Amino acid sequence: MNEETAPAVHSIAAYVHGYAEEKRLLGFRSGCGFVSATWGLLCPRCGKRDLKEVTLSGRGRVAALTVQTVPAEEFVNDAPYAYVVVELEEGGRITGWIPGVRGPEELFIGAAVAWVSSYRPGLQFELRSSSPEDAG
Amino acid sequence: MRETWVAGAAMNRFGKMAETGREAGARVALEALDRAGVEPKRLGLTIVSNAFGIAEHQAHVGPLLNTALGIPEVPSFTVESACSSSSAALHEAFVHVAGGFSEAVLVVGFEKLSHLDTLAATSYFATGADYTFESQNGATFPGLYATIANAHSQKYGTTPEQLGAVAVKNHANGARNPHAHFQKEISLATYLASPMVASPLRLYDCCPFSDGAAAVVVVAREALPRPAAEPLVIRASARAGDIGDIHDRESLTSLSATRRAADAAFQRAGIERREVQFLEVHDCFTIAEIVALEDLGFFPAGAAAKAGADGTTARDGRLPVNPSGGLKAKGHPVSASGAAQVVEVFEQMNALAGTRQVPHAEVALTHNVGATGSSCSVHLFSRR
Ligand SMILES: CC(C)(COP(=O)(O)OP(=O)(O)OC[C@H]1O[C@@H](n2cnc3c(N)ncnc32)[C@H](O)[C@@H]1OP(=O)(O)O)[C@@H](O)C(=O)NCCC(=O)NCCS
Ligand SMILES: [Zn+2]
Repeated sequence: MNEETAPAVHSIAAYVHGYAEEKRLLGFRSGCGFVSATWGLLCPRCGKRDLKEVTLSGRGRVAALTVQTVPAEEFVNDAPYAYVVVELEEGGRITGWIPGVRGPEELFIGAAVAWVSSYRPGLQFELRSSSPEDAG
Repeated sequence: MRETWVAGAAMNRFGKMAETGREAGARVALEALDRAGVEPKRLGLTIVSNAFGIAEHQAHVGPLLNTALGIPEVPSFTVESACSSSSAALHEAFVHVAGGFSEAVLVVGFEKLSHLDTLAATSYFATGADYTFESQNGATFPGLYATIANAHSQKYGTTPEQLGAVAVKNHANGARNPHAHFQKEISLATYLASPMVASPLRLYDCCPFSDGAAAVVVVAREALPRPAAEPLVIRASARAGDIGDIHDRESLTSLSATRRAADAAFQRAGIERREVQFLEVHDCFTIAEIVALEDLGFFPAGAAAKAGADGTTARDGRLPVNPSGGLKAKGHPVSASGAAQVVEVFEQMNALAGTRQVPHAEVALTHNVGATGSSCSVHLFSRR
């Protein structure tokens, strides 16, 4: 296989193994600059093949949030909790959950968060700034 | 392409069905065929949508339906596109008929989920999102749309009262629709007092889990010299897709599949937006109606939230939106919803809509979204 046609990056199994067992968050960066963790062979933004595997920092800021009172089935013992869209420091967005958030007033857009390892499948985040003032 | 019609359309009362999906599907199919004046024997194809048939331990339901309709020899297949399944099926029917491959095609969408409890149904629905990269990270469907609502209010200042106005309006319309799951009006105070499901979305921001069935009969004009009802001319049938995961899309506040499907539909139909007299749009959550009206091009970005509150989109307003009650009040049996939107257009254009009749019903648009916007169908209809 030449460079052009080589399947990009890792498998989903490697992604899951990476975050669950190796404390490593696998993703890709496309030639167009698009960064994502979502599995793919070609870039969904520009359609090109030049994806490079990268290790994502897992650090960033909340771009959108919700506090779910009615949980996903696997999270039945954790409700309520926050589900967040996180804008990474290096660009691109990933999502995850934050345990122990009881209402939207406990979180805000722009809050600094970091990915932490979890006892369960899925990406878990930790809140790093407690108010819009110290979020900078 | 030849002129193609919706010659008949019918649905049952959404809510809780005592019968199986297949029984309900066959009954509404026969009613739609009777409304069209088309005998089942004339069908060249049946297209079924039943995304969560597995909840009834049933796949490959098309042949069972055709057998029940006395036409086991007619071919069938299933179209799945999450919540936009039956509008995708309608698109396929349009392609078959307009392209000259069939004279008459039946589209049937149905779902039966009410025997599942809230958590189980929430899990079934979450399979329409990206399991590994969204659902497993904790997202439910209401949660995913809640992130859109949160980002929309951050960007445009959309308020809880504006979300509530959509719910109040759609419940007011549903109260006049005998097909609707919820046939009761609610006040803004009731809305604001309802429990949070996924902030900022409350119970009354959400469509319910509904059972239901709806069917549409698509025919070539030349195949039906004497239609039994006023047919809807399909002026355009357009579909578009988008990145599956919301967070990977450029915008968190707009669905680009809606924008592209709408632009293609208006261009193909040669219709201007100002000619459209009423719309059935995909309001699985109140925020979805607001975003739809912006993406369809009827309001600038950030400007549709006012339209519910100021009466513009009311049944007797300048641009009636979801006179049926929408998914919010009429109910959302996933695979029946796209076809049910067409039933509303059919009943409005045939003056069968009773007390929810809109003042002008000659040109209408339906908009049906799959999942969080990764699939979208837009149809434009006019009277002959
Ligand atoms: C909001 C939601 C969590 C409620 O769950 P549920 O299991 O239906 O709720 P319950 O059965 O506990 O219903 C409690 C009461 O609220 C009513 N109710 C339920 N959902 C309702 C809704 N969406 N709007 C208004 N009332 C609703 C019920 O009729 C019931 O009333 P009753 O006590 O008078 O009989 C659920 O309807 C939901 O998740 N909806 C979204 C579905 C979805 O994601 N669809 C895909 C969209 S693309
Ligand atoms: Zn790219």
